[in-house]
Amino acid sequence: MNFLRSRALDLAVVLFGVSVLTFLMIRLIPGDAVAIMLGANTEVTPDRVAALRSRIGLDQPVLLQYFSWLGGVLSGDLGVSLWTRRPVSQEIAGHMWPTLQLTVLALIVGAGLSLPLGVLMARLRGKAWDTALRIGSVAGLTIPSFWLGIMMILALTTLAPDWQLLGYVPFSEDPLGNVAKLLLPAVALALPILANLSRLVRSAMLDALQQDYVRTARAKGLSERRILYRHALRNALIPFVTSAGIMTGYLLGGAIVVEQVFAIPGLGRLILGAIAERNYPLVQATILVITFAFVLVNFVVDLLYVLIDPRVRL
Amino acid sequence: MARFLTTTALALTMGLAAAALLPATSQAQVLQAAVDASPAGLDPHIITAFSSFQVVNGSIYEGLTGIDKDLHVVPALAQSWTLSADGKSYVFKLVSGATFHDGKPLEAADVVASLNRVLSKDIASPLASRLAAMEKASAVDAGTVEVTLKEPSAPFLTALASIAIVPRAFEADKDGLQRKPVGTGPFKFKEWQPNGFIELEKHAGYWNKGQPKLDGVKFNIIPESATRQVGLSSGQYALLPNIDAATALQLKGRPNVKIADTLELAYTLVGMNTSKPPFDNPKVREALNYALNRQEIVQAALFGAGVPGGPLSPALKQWALDVKEFPCFTPSAAKAQELLKAAGITTPVAVTLLVLPRQDIRDIAQVVQAQLNKAGFKAELKIPELGQFVQDWRNSNFDAFVSTNAGSIDPDDYFYRTFRTAGSTNVFKYSNPEIDGLLDAARIETDQAKRKASYNRVQSLLTCDGPAAFMTYGQLFTAMRTNVSGFDIVANRSLFSLSTTMQAR
Repeated sequence: MNFLRSRALDLAVVLFGVSVLTFLMIRLIPGDAVAIMLGANTEVTPDRVAALRSRIGLDQPVLLQYFSWLGGVLSGDLGVSLWTRRPVSQEIAGHMWPTLQLTVLALIVGAGLSLPLGVLMARLRGKAWDTALRIGSVAGLTIPSFWLGIMMILALTTLAPDWQLLGYVPFSEDPLGNVAKLLLPAVALALPILANLSRLVRSAMLDALQQDYVRTARAKGLSERRILYRHALRNALIPFVTSAGIMTGYLLGGAIVVEQVFAIPGLGRLILGAIAERNYPLVQATILVITFAFVLVNFVVDLLYVLIDPRVRL
Repeated sequence: MARFLTTTALALTMGLAAAALLPATSQAQVLQAAVDASPAGLDPHIITAFSSFQVVNGSIYEGLTGIDKDLHVVPALAQSWTLSADGKSYVFKLVSGATFHDGKPLEAADVVASLNRVLSKDIASPLASRLAAMEKASAVDAGTVEVTLKEPSAPFLTALASIAIVPRAFEADKDGLQRKPVGTGPFKFKEWQPNGFIELEKHAGYWNKGQPKLDGVKFNIIPESATRQVGLSSGQYALLPNIDAATALQLKGRPNVKIADTLELAYTLVGMNTSKPPFDNPKVREALNYALNRQEIVQAALFGAGVPGGPLSPALKQWALDVKEFPCFTPSAAKAQELLKAAGITTPVAVTLLVLPRQDIRDIAQVVQAQLNKAGFKAELKIPELGQFVQDWRNSNFDAFVSTNAGSIDPDDYFYRTFRTAGSTNVFKYSNPEIDGLLDAARIETDQAKRKASYNRVQSLLTCDGPAAFMTYGQLFTAMRTNVSGFDIVANRSLFSLSTTMQAR
């Protein structure tokens, strides 16, 4: 219970800090919303600029803007998008599912495959295959997802020209199409995670295999398989879960780029567009939501420790 | 456990791959277009982003007048009009049978409300200045509108083409149309998934019988150029409107893809700050003009897809002067050096060029930089982020800038705000009483020949030692699948011809 309370307090402090930072930073970028709205080629008189500014509330002092925004957020109102006048909460809700799906899919692909791959690498330690896989994982770490994405798109148009792989359809509308369209971006997004986690599993496994309890288990005559999966892997899981949790946070960041390449209308696209058009309420709220998700994931990771290792007490 | 994991992962991957290869269901007669940016709102009186115009103008909304593919003003919701002898009063007859997408018939009161809405301070419409000449609009009867002007206005009919007619219920509503547009056009709004797509469906009661031919148009929002190209090649998209030369060249010759092109109205320019050295000196401005090799810019930065041009687009055949009339269009580094010497300036002249952060403009700026450096300048490029560019540009915080200026089908629109003393986009801080007089006179001149003479003179005055070195007019491209027909590409980038577009299965 104490743990929950201190976590809730952490969360509140982090969210407050992030809200202040975002609020100030987006306003420090030169060129305000009105300048961008009117662009470089429109015919506008200063009084129209003033009218527009007051229409979207930018004529107020920044501090006042912040507190009126904060007040809104605390009462559950995230504000309205400056351009479309839609409630920000609606915009975020509309863009949340694709990102969530993409992240989960990438996590399944990345983390899911990294376990068997890491174990395999540990078992093959020093052999040619291990070296090949390690080189491959370095490549996986260094190739940027967006480049990989574009290459995948180009390759697939030649190999499978009928695969309508771009864009997004909601799962409820067309489940197969939904997965078909998200698969490729998820793989592009998952590759660095896969590379990273499989290396981690490999070294954790090697580490575990040198421990005394493994020697004991061997002495008892347990099968190698049982030693690997029952004893060693279980102990290797703690650093794995920690890393996978942090990776989930990075996945959200990577999703921004991958969504752009594959034209997926997720939070990443939303936030890129919002920054470009200086859509302050939208930027602020989206970053807040992403921060919230990040903190939430870390919390879940902590809970997982208990399940993996009964010695851990929260 | 490993076996379990491997099996699960394998099954998962195979299942996903199988799902991916299933043929997608084809939608009947809904044209799939791919555009690069999400519209920023859909209210035709408030929007300023091109991504918004592209979707709503001509397809959802119509004006009293329209612009045809040859850039002439033609009747639209007004089937005809008369102008009083003093040039100050128009009477418009509305087409019969036009209805809004909400089912209500179009009446004169809607037109009056729309014009008033644009002028209203509350709405803060950036289009308001287009109606600056308007004194008052009134409904004579349900099918007739009278508009009186403060003074005769030559560009007024052109301006009306950009003023969408909306239902009168929205006159004081600032937000309603941003999300759910209601117009009279051939297509009505169906669904908008921000950053995903915006879908329009056929307006069954459209007044222009026999149109539209399509059941709908879906604008898929695809920011990456490579992704759009792949989508067109694979047939997922049927139309990529208004693409640049680089994309068009890459798509040229692909199976089942055809390209349409036309000359742009927008031009690229080097704008100069005439309020401070060195460009306060006309000789330096002239030297810069001589330093530019426009043909080389077209070849190097526009892939040959464009032409050198002066203050008006060569596409406006009835207005634009031939570039042969401009001596400084014959490049000469020696002449440039000579002019700088005559201006009493020690070379090289150090200047910073503020560059619009857009790929084609960046490319052009690099060529310009090289050319200037050969002719006695020492040019440095500054490529800021867009918000910073707009801010510096608006505040005239530059020696010179490389950018693009939007065109129009009327010379008044090109010149008045940009080059008249204290014009709203005269960021050059340029002032020339002769030009001011000519622009004022041409604006209220109803005699076409006299108007033309004024603008000829303005073009000569602006070129070579004016505040802007006019450079190029690019070719504008649209790529489509070969089974798409009836689509006309228009220099002002309007997609109004979607109403006559067809797609064979």
